[in-house]
Amino acid sequence: MLLDLPSTREESWRWGDPAAIAAAAGLPRGEALAGAWFLDLEGARAVFVDGVLDEGRSDLRHVAIAPLEGGEHVLGRRTTGNGWSLRVDANASAELIQIVHISTGGDNQLPAEIVLAGGAQASVVETYVGTGWSNRSTRITLGAGAKLTRAVRLLQASGFVSLRDEAEVGAGASLIVTVLGAGDAGTRIDGAITVSGDDAFAEYGGALLTRNAQKQECALSVRHAALNGQSKQIWRAVAADTSTASLAARVEVARDAQKTDGVQSLRGLLLKRTATVNLKPELEIFADDVKCAHGATVGELDQRALFYMQSRGIPHAKAQALLTRAFVGDAFAQIADETVRDAFVADADAWLEAALSAPLPLAGGAGGGASS
Amino acid sequence: MATRNAEAYAAANKTYEWGFSSDIEQEFAPKGLSEDTVRFISAKKGEPQWMLDWRLKAFALWQTMEAPDWSKLNVPPIDYQDAYYYAEPKAKPKLGSLDEVDPEILRVYEKLGIPIGEQKMLAGVVEDPLNEDGTPKRRVAVDAVFDSVSVATTFRKELEAAGVIFRSISEAIKEYPDLVRKWLGKVVPQRDNYFATLNSAVFSDGTFVYIPEGVRCPMELSTYFRINAENTGQFERTLIVADKGSYVSYLEGCTAPMRDENQLHAAVVELVVLDDAEIKYSTVQNWYPGDENGVGGIYNFVTKRALCQGKNSKVSWTQVETGSAITWKYPSCVLAGDGSVGEFYSVAVTNNRQQADTGTKMIHLGKNTRSTIVSKGISAGRSDNTYRGLVRVAPTAEGVRNFTQCDSLLLGDQCGAHTVPYIEVRNPSAQIEHEATTSKISEDQLFYAMSRGLDAEAAVALIVNGFAREVLQQLPMEFAVEAQKLLGISLEGSVG
Repeated sequence: MLLDLPSTREESWRWGDPAAIAAAAGLPRGEALAGAWFLDLEGARAVFVDGVLDEGRSDLRHVAIAPLEGGEHVLGRRTTGNGWSLRVDANASAELIQIVHISTGGDNQLPAEIVLAGGAQASVVETYVGTGWSNRSTRITLGAGAKLTRAVRLLQASGFVSLRDEAEVGAGASLIVTVLGAGDAGTRIDGAITVSGDDAFAEYGGALLTRNAQKQECALSVRHAALNGQSKQIWRAVAADTSTASLAARVEVARDAQKTDGVQSLRGLLLKRTATVNLKPELEIFADDVKCAHGATVGELDQRALFYMQSRGIPHAKAQALLTRAFVGDAFAQIADETVRDAFVADADAWLEAALSAPLPLAGGAGGGASS
Repeated sequence: MATRNAEAYAAANKTYEWGFSSDIEQEFAPKGLSEDTVRFISAKKGEPQWMLDWRLKAFALWQTMEAPDWSKLNVPPIDYQDAYYYAEPKAKPKLGSLDEVDPEILRVYEKLGIPIGEQKMLAGVVEDPLNEDGTPKRRVAVDAVFDSVSVATTFRKELEAAGVIFRSISEAIKEYPDLVRKWLGKVVPQRDNYFATLNSAVFSDGTFVYIPEGVRCPMELSTYFRINAENTGQFERTLIVADKGSYVSYLEGCTAPMRDENQLHAAVVELVVLDDAEIKYSTVQNWYPGDENGVGGIYNFVTKRALCQGKNSKVSWTQVETGSAITWKYPSCVLAGDGSVGEFYSVAVTNNRQQADTGTKMIHLGKNTRSTIVSKGISAGRSDNTYRGLVRVAPTAEGVRNFTQCDSLLLGDQCGAHTVPYIEVRNPSAQIEHEATTSKISEDQLFYAMSRGLDAEAAVALIVNGFAREVLQQLPMEFAVEAQKLLGISLEGSVG
């Protein structure tokens, strides 16, 4: 299948996997998964099967379906067409919105827009399940003082999920995006965040957990174009078997974006000697009065910590699981809603149990997962 | 410290200090680049057939390649047909004494700062090897590349007594064909990259060093490169082989005269290190960077790579990059031998319209290999300074350690500092750490230095020297002094 995607010779696709996208798009379509994947939370709900709204399972409330542009990007522009739109008036507070994307095979495209006027607030949780190539674009515009939190769980059992996010963060606004890749599909998270207003805050982070021959990748850039901006990119990657987890995160500081404070923390953990972690914490700075620090580490679990736990009677596998969970947990700290955070932790735990073949003690009575 | 800065500022000069140009009769290859040019160069040097074949293969490859565009550089298109690829000073009769050396060449040496004693040595004058108090003099052997041909090589006898081969590469091709043939292109193959392939086809001259087993080279080896003729691309080729248990410290310094047209420079440096051997390679590069509007200046596209083939071998790259309009340079280490060590210490200063995209690659293949990267980038004026590095750990490489630190300092709000580190790890036992900071010069430090009586520029030079200290202290002494001066001179006019 010819998809006209960039090749890995292109710098921004160096660790990408266009072949896996083509393979996923070629998977035959099947039956839609029946289960509900919503968290036990009040609010609007939407189910998209292969990019088409399933009205029977949805309760849209203030979410609209409208024709949308996908943007210029090579992934985003494919999505142009009908998609979901969330627009919130000034100083209003929208209910939580849960969106489940069920893909049955082949390729499906869906655009989305989130536009918050000044002082508005909204919260979105998205879940991806199924197989095939799910390609999404989400264009976010935050007015002055608006606040958006968005949590994305990538749980597709096979195929490929690609997300193209574009965001404009206005003065004093706050954007918090957390992504967890804990399925078995290939992943590309492709984001371009612009901090365009003064005193704004943007946080984009998460965890990519890879196993078998899976490849997950994040290619993210946060551009500071205004004064006093703050951004955080906190990512954790755990790679097992022969899998590859790649994190390329960039902070750009434009000429006039003085007093920017950019934080990047990229950490990789290798569970097997055949796994690969790639990191690229990139800085591009044109202003002289900024604070940009980045840290990147790759390695295995701290042998001393493992030894200590074993000396206290915890079996090796369990000690490994606990330490790995703590490692991943850093990336979920910014999720404010407890139910959502617990769901993320439960997803990660399920993944860890499978990858390490060790049961984990339950995390503080967390349910999450597949309750409806 | 104050005295040192005073010295730096005494040496400072608004115009490019080394911007002189000597008129010496040149013999040029015809302008342009074709298979005939390659044949001309090879014939001119009286090379054997295998060398010509090697060059021609590279040239054929080059024609199929495209210039790389992944760097953060804005390189104007280069017309490879509008340059001379070969120039050598006309052959002179053999000289009996220093007085007979072409005074033009002597003057160039003087400006280059080659000590008079070594100038004598260049002309074969024997000097007392001891100081007045009987201690041996500190010695540096110089192989001066004057334009494209090595004019003379000093200390050859003494080095030969130790078994060290220190030749221009043209001589080595004739005298030690087996050695050269064995290693040439082993580290940087002909098809490596656009500029290295071009160099393989048309390299004019360069240096060959072989340190035999167990020998610690009795002196520091040094080559001064100079680009002299207008529109002459210079394509040096350096090959250093350190046999088992040997050690050598090699210094490379560069100056070039002021020219308004951009000049291309595409060098290749290959280092091979066998068991327990060590090479320390130090560079101070202060080629003409162009004027404050970005007119003129050298394009410096260099491929430098070391192969740590032996167990417990070690390579240490130290570079101070203050010159060139455009720098594209990534001295790298392939750490193949178990327990081998790679080090990279770099200070890169850009001012005015300069662009630098420089860094290193550490490829860990062997077990328990270690690498250290310390990079200090200083940007001023309207310049762009990029650190681009790769640390790769192969699945077979157990117990790898890497520490990377890249710090950027911004002077002024019109410049850019960029950090592009790639980390690719395929073995869980690796410990990779990367740290980076970007900051501007601290107002507190400036205020303090000025309250102690330094003017703004002296204070900046002092702070910048402190910022780069970890790298500067890796340099051999002769270079460290020059490098400190250069930092101050390069940043002139960037404050106040």
